[in-house]
Amino acid sequence: MEQTKPPSELDIKGIIIQALFLIAVAVLITSAYSSGQTNLSKMGLTNGFSFLERATGWSYSFSMIDHSTDDPYYRTLFSGFLNTFVLGITAIVFSTIFGFAIGTARDAKNLAVQGSAAIFIQIFRNIPLILQLIFWYAVLIHLPSPRQAMGFYDTIFMSNRGVMIPTLNMSLYTWLIVVAIAIGAYFSINKFCKQKKPIKILAWVTIMAVSVLLLGNLFVPENEPLLSIPELKGLRFVGGVTLNIELVAMLIAIILYGSSYIAEVVRGGLQEVPKGLTEAGNSLGLSDRQIWFKIKMPMALRTILPPLGNQWIFLIKATTIGVAIGYSDLFMIISTSITQSGQTLELIGILMSAFLLINFSLARLINLLNKKLQLKGH
Amino acid sequence: MTTTTIPINSKPRAVKPVVKYTWFKERAFSTPLDTLMTLVFLSVICYLGYLIVDWTFLNAVWTEENVAMCQEATGACWSVVDARHRLILFGLYPYELQWRATLACASIILAIVLSCFSFFWTIWRLSWLWFVGFGSYYLLMEGSLLGLQQVTTDEWGGLALTLFLFSSVVLAGIPTGLLFAMLRRSKLPVISYGISIFIDVIRSLPLLATLFTAAVVIPILLPEWLHGDKIWRVIVAFTLFFACYQAEVFRGGFQGVPKGQVEAGQALGLSSWHIFTRIVLPQVFRHSLPGTINMVVMTFKETAIVIIIGFFDVIASANAAIGTAQWAPYYMEVYAFVGFIYWGFIFLLGQYGSYLKRRLSNTSH
Amino acid sequence: MSLTTNDQNSADEVAIQITDMNKWYGDFHVLKGIDLTVKRGEKIVVCGPSGSGKSTMIRCINDLEKHQSGKIEVLGTILDRNPKNIQAIRKDVGMCFQHFNLFPHMTVLENCMLAPTLVQGTSDSKAKETALKYLDKVKIRNQADKYPGQLSGGQQQRVAIARSLCMNPSVMLFDEPTSALDPEVIAEVLDVMVSLADMGMTMICVTHEMGFARKVADRVIFMDAGEIIEDDEPNAFFDNPKSDRTKLFLSQVLEH
Repeated sequence: MEQTKPPSELDIKGIIIQALFLIAVAVLITSAYSSGQTNLSKMGLTNGFSFLERATGWSYSFSMIDHSTDDPYYRTLFSGFLNTFVLGITAIVFSTIFGFAIGTARDAKNLAVQGSAAIFIQIFRNIPLILQLIFWYAVLIHLPSPRQAMGFYDTIFMSNRGVMIPTLNMSLYTWLIVVAIAIGAYFSINKFCKQKKPIKILAWVTIMAVSVLLLGNLFVPENEPLLSIPELKGLRFVGGVTLNIELVAMLIAIILYGSSYIAEVVRGGLQEVPKGLTEAGNSLGLSDRQIWFKIKMPMALRTILPPLGNQWIFLIKATTIGVAIGYSDLFMIISTSITQSGQTLELIGILMSAFLLINFSLARLINLLNKKLQLKGH
Repeated sequence: MTTTTIPINSKPRAVKPVVKYTWFKERAFSTPLDTLMTLVFLSVICYLGYLIVDWTFLNAVWTEENVAMCQEATGACWSVVDARHRLILFGLYPYELQWRATLACASIILAIVLSCFSFFWTIWRLSWLWFVGFGSYYLLMEGSLLGLQQVTTDEWGGLALTLFLFSSVVLAGIPTGLLFAMLRRSKLPVISYGISIFIDVIRSLPLLATLFTAAVVIPILLPEWLHGDKIWRVIVAFTLFFACYQAEVFRGGFQGVPKGQVEAGQALGLSSWHIFTRIVLPQVFRHSLPGTINMVVMTFKETAIVIIIGFFDVIASANAAIGTAQWAPYYMEVYAFVGFIYWGFIFLLGQYGSYLKRRLSNTSH
Repeated sequence: MSLTTNDQNSADEVAIQITDMNKWYGDFHVLKGIDLTVKRGEKIVVCGPSGSGKSTMIRCINDLEKHQSGKIEVLGTILDRNPKNIQAIRKDVGMCFQHFNLFPHMTVLENCMLAPTLVQGTSDSKAKETALKYLDKVKIRNQADKYPGQLSGGQQQRVAIARSLCMNPSVMLFDEPTSALDPEVIAEVLDVMVSLADMGMTMICVTHEMGFARKVADRVIFMDAGEIIEDDEPNAFFDNPKSDRTKLFLSQVLEH
């Protein structure tokens, strides 16, 4: 009697409904595929990814790697991906830093600080990103020409051709090595160095300075200084690196918009921290600074992280509007490729997989962070 | 200590000003650093505020007739808005028929405003309100059904088009989102997984890619008789995008309804239909109201990107307004004007949203 | 309808008959061969340690939980998978929950009027009249236009009882109705339950209120690990329990 198993039951209605659902999806996909085939062959197009090897024959405004009209499609698409990725990551990093600063200010005790943060958030949050982008682009394009460029201490120049900033004379690959060393040094110092924080930071800075100097001197082309500063020679600038105005406009617009959103997320998280915790900190005699760093922020981070992750994904997706001002991000490269080559389905597929790849990895990263931060026993 | 509190207690009238003063002091001048911050931030705000007021009002030129004065004026040249506002608001809509577009926009705006009153918060009243509001918009803009001159959708533009896209997406998106949320909660694994994958994929793609796909790819994948106008394809795609996000908002709302509510309904002998419509749904809507308003605000902002896929929305018409040599220098004024329209609408909606949130949290417990 | 049958039938008629009922959660055997007969007008108190299956058992009676084998017959209707039979049983069996489960988006009055108007097709005015009558009976008529969130726990539980009564049930099930209440308001809910018992309502109560059991119950049932261990009238149950498990349980409950 006690050992009997529950009688098993079959949900026949459920199985039929699910089967119908699957059949409907299958019919939808096959009919779309077949009418796609007929429509494409009418246009004289073949499908497949062989076009990726062909030279594009057209150029685009901005690339972080060398580019020309002879580039095959895969290289051009990769360049677009790189533009999206680098812009997205830069925007995420700066938006997060500014967002935390402004969000904290929004939660500050001081009325003037709080008010300024509120005004900032209300302005940049409530205007469509694309309108802000077009506005900043219009402002930048009305800057003086390079000959009358606005200079700051003769090192940074702004003109309608872009923003010129000093740079270290290193190639992209050298930069990658530097970044790798930076990360490696950070982890090994954390693991092996048992000193206090200031000493750790000092050690890291020393390692970085030495490696940059060494690498720089090894890889810099002859007769060129390691530090390159922009200089007006004739009608254009020589030296330094030029951020073209499309990139600058994108950065300004996305970072302002993103930081106002992240500021709201941060403020929300800070407000969720129970008042009792701050009071407990006060009663233990901690200073306001200590309470903020040791109690409020660590607690708030747990509420902040999930919506912050959503904002990061949003910012990555927002880079697609670059096409409105001609910033050659992945979306713009894809849409130009579609008009030029006609390989619509394949290119849309590439676009979707690229975004799925970036966003799912971001989501995984956030999940990992979230797991690490989760309170034990909750 | 005691000597100072006694006189205050004996004179109750003196209490209030003292409290007010200490509160202000606490929040602005409590320490030297605090005072410094207050002064720095206040002066920056005041200086920026002065610059803006000076540009917007004090030194501005207001009318089209005075446009010659714009050359010397240091402030804004609002002449451009005065001269071109009909282009910005209505795009390429035939000039002599723009009274119809004005009325149409008014009916949509009225429907939006009326929806904010709790009097209209029943399914029937809300459906009727929007049936009338949206219907009269369409009849007035299109015209042929009212016996007026027909204006096809490709001539619609400016703010009128933006409002049309926005309201159709929200109107169609909310029921679709509810449907998606219900499918995702289905007990049948194939259906709930299938819809989850769809929602997650759409959510991780940029809106622009979705709309672009609808505009470019759908014509390839569908037989010709299913293509429809480009504007309808884009509205359908935007609706699906909205619905995927709204489904997540509703999902949160469903999770906020305790299981006991359904059980109480069952124990009373209510049918599953009545349990769903009378007990579960009203509570789901209530829980998801703040999230829905967020989505509505987002959607109003995001409609702006249809300019990229070739629609003549309010930003495109703003660009057109400064497209001539005469008005080109005054781009800032035109963008400020359009920005203010967006800002005002979104700011008001946002304030309304936080008011609702406060009201709901007051009544529920 | 239920009132007339109540009057016509003799007190010996069976209201609920459970025979060899089994239920599993996955592989976990929650209810093991339950047999229980409840006559019309009988008041049964079910007690036992938490996890013993007592709530699950009474929730099977109105099909909030599905039993997997055995037979349940309520007021002459056999509980099977036929929605019509389930519906018929639920109309005639009222239930009160530990957490009241009032509908928070409706006023007290609307809570009470919902089921009669939707299920029985009663007119609004008639339903309102009935609702006010029962709200009066649970002494909460003056709060009829408030929302549940504005009432105390004890008041909410009394509204929940009135809400069930509005359907004119023949049987009332109580699933730990006082466990979520503050000690000082438990009495007001128990008073309502006692007056219900005095009216001759058939009741099955899962509760730990032993005073109530002694005062009202015709039979007290002790359950442990999914089985009915003891089934006796209150005096014998409390003063002279047969099983060791019952003795242990009673010593733990009555100690304080």
